[in-house]
Amino acid sequence: MMTRARSLLVLVAIVALGASAHAPAADLAAGKAKATEVCQACHGADGNSASADFPKLGGQYPDYLAKALRDYKSGQRKNPIMAGFAKPLSTQDIDNLAAYYASQPAAVSTRH
Amino acid sequence: MCSPVSAQGAPVGDAAKGAQKNLQCSGCHGIDGWRTAFPEVYRVPRIGGQHEAYLVKALQQYKSGDRSHPSMRAVASALSEQDMADLAAYYSQGRVTTASK
Repeated sequence: MMTRARSLLVLVAIVALGASAHAPAADLAAGKAKATEVCQACHGADGNSASADFPKLGGQYPDYLAKALRDYKSGQRKNPIMAGFAKPLSTQDIDNLAAYYASQPAAVSTRH
Repeated sequence: MCSPVSAQGAPVGDAAKGAQKNLQCSGCHGIDGWRTAFPEVYRVPRIGGQHEAYLVKALQQYKSGDRSHPSMRAVASALSEQDMADLAAYYSQGRVTTASK
C-alpha cells in the first residue's frame, strides 16, 4: 500500500515537472526578432510609434500585451489588421513579443 | 453653447474636464500594478502618455462591444463622445505629479 502511494507521488511529481517545462520563460532575443519581422512597420522598432493610429507599447505590462495578442488571435478583440498579424503567432511568440515590448523604453505610465 | 469639434466632427478633448471625469478610471488605472480579476487575471494597462486618438478608439470599442472586458464595457457605455475625448486628453498627457499625491 505504502509503495503504491509513494509511486503515485512520484508520478504526480513527474507530471508536474513536465507541465512546468511547457511554460518556458520568455525569450527576449526571439521576441525582438519577431517584432522586427512582424510588428515594427507600424509600431516602430521600440514599440513607440509616433503615429496616433498605433498604441505605444514600450513599458506596457507584458501580461496585458500578451492578453491583447491572444484576444486578437482568437477574435475576442476585433481588429482586422491585428487579427491578421496575431493569428500565425504561437503562444511562445506572444510571450516573447510581450516581454520584448515591456522591456523597451517606457512611453506609457500609470496616471492617477 | 456648443463644444468645439475637430475638422472630422469629433469632439475636441479638454484635459482639465477629463480630470474631473476619471473617478471610475483611477480605481484601476491609477494604481501601479493593479490586476483585473475577471474574466482573466492580468495587470490593467498603463494609459498615461498613450496616444489620445488610440484611447478614444479603445473607449468607443468597449462601448460598441468590439472590445469585451465587462468592467470596461460598463464604464464606457455610460460615456458620451465628449467624455471620451476629455478622458483621452487627460490620460494622453502622461505622468504628472499632483499636489494631492
